[in-house]
Amino acid sequence: MLEVNGMENTVYIRMRNRVQVNVDDSLFLRDIAQIISREGIHQKLERLPVYKVSAEDNNVIILDVMRIIRMITNLYPDTEVQAVGPTQTIIEVMYKKKRVSFPLFIMVWLLLFIGSAITIMNFHEDVSMQAVQQRIYMMITGKFESKPLLFQIPYSFGLGLGMILFFNHVFKKRLNEEPSPLEVEMFNYQQSLDQYVIINENKESVKRLDDD
Amino acid sequence: MTIEILFVFLVSLAGGLAVGAGFVAFLVVLGVIPRLTQLTKTMRMVYLYEWAVVLGAIAGTFGSLQDLTFNFTGFLSIPIGLFAGTFVGMLAAGLTEALNVFPILAKRIRIEDRIVILIMAIVIGKVLGSLFQWVYFVG
Repeated sequence: MLEVNGMENTVYIRMRNRVQVNVDDSLFLRDIAQIISREGIHQKLERLPVYKVSAEDNNVIILDVMRIIRMITNLYPDTEVQAVGPTQTIIEVMYKKKRVSFPLFIMVWLLLFIGSAITIMNFHEDVSMQAVQQRIYMMITGKFESKPLLFQIPYSFGLGLGMILFFNHVFKKRLNEEPSPLEVEMFNYQQSLDQYVIINENKESVKRLDDD
Repeated sequence: MTIEILFVFLVSLAGGLAVGAGFVAFLVVLGVIPRLTQLTKTMRMVYLYEWAVVLGAIAGTFGSLQDLTFNFTGFLSIPIGLFAGTFVGMLAAGLTEALNVFPILAKRIRIEDRIVILIMAIVIGKVLGSLFQWVYFVG
């Protein structure tokens, strides 16, 4: 008997990586996972309520796949649930759309602007850039020039050009379609944060001695 | 005498090896060359770029040890200056990226969408800081 409808009763679920929700949202299974199942129960599974976000929740909730499997097998004891892919979904509760305050943004902008201007000047002093440039200019022309601006002004614009080339952005216009190192870096940072909350916010995945 | 010459030879060779290895390691960590090959889609030429770096370093060493002068026009220093600046700019950008400044900053003050404006702050800061230094600050 079991063999006959063994295949039929398999439900495949694949947890989504990240889901953004609002406070007081009710989450159904289809919101947090992709589902493949037989026709009869598919609609019901999609509308299976799995979580109710409340104001007491932190801004990150981890839903473990085991919990979902338990729910499904409680409802349909004769189904077999196969989990594919990520074993948990990170639910990000968007409390209020916190926009960055404009003055704060200007402050950060000025911090970076003035900071990088001073840093580059310190760097030039540190490596005796002026003397090196005088020497290169002397090498090229045979004449000594205490301020070889013909070298220094293109050099200064080259600095900006080099940084833009590296970050692959010309004032929001991309030079090609590959991700820039910065985007990869942002992605890696987000991955590390996700990895951290998956382990630490998920009560199921850490078992401590004093956990009783 | 021969021993002395051999000793000086050994010391200078060791010094050069250490500095050269350090220079290449620095370039590798900051990822300037991979970035350039990625932008220009010339991955297959990368060994020629290695030679460019090596020959450039040797030429620079030679130039700084000899008092070599030519009688070219000063306008030749415009492209040389531009290239020199671009290289230093890429080094600076690579360093900023290696230090993970932007991801943390963007996450902290929640401006993932306006991060380009912050990069521009650094870029414009570098350009204007450098111009200010050469035109007014020194001399």
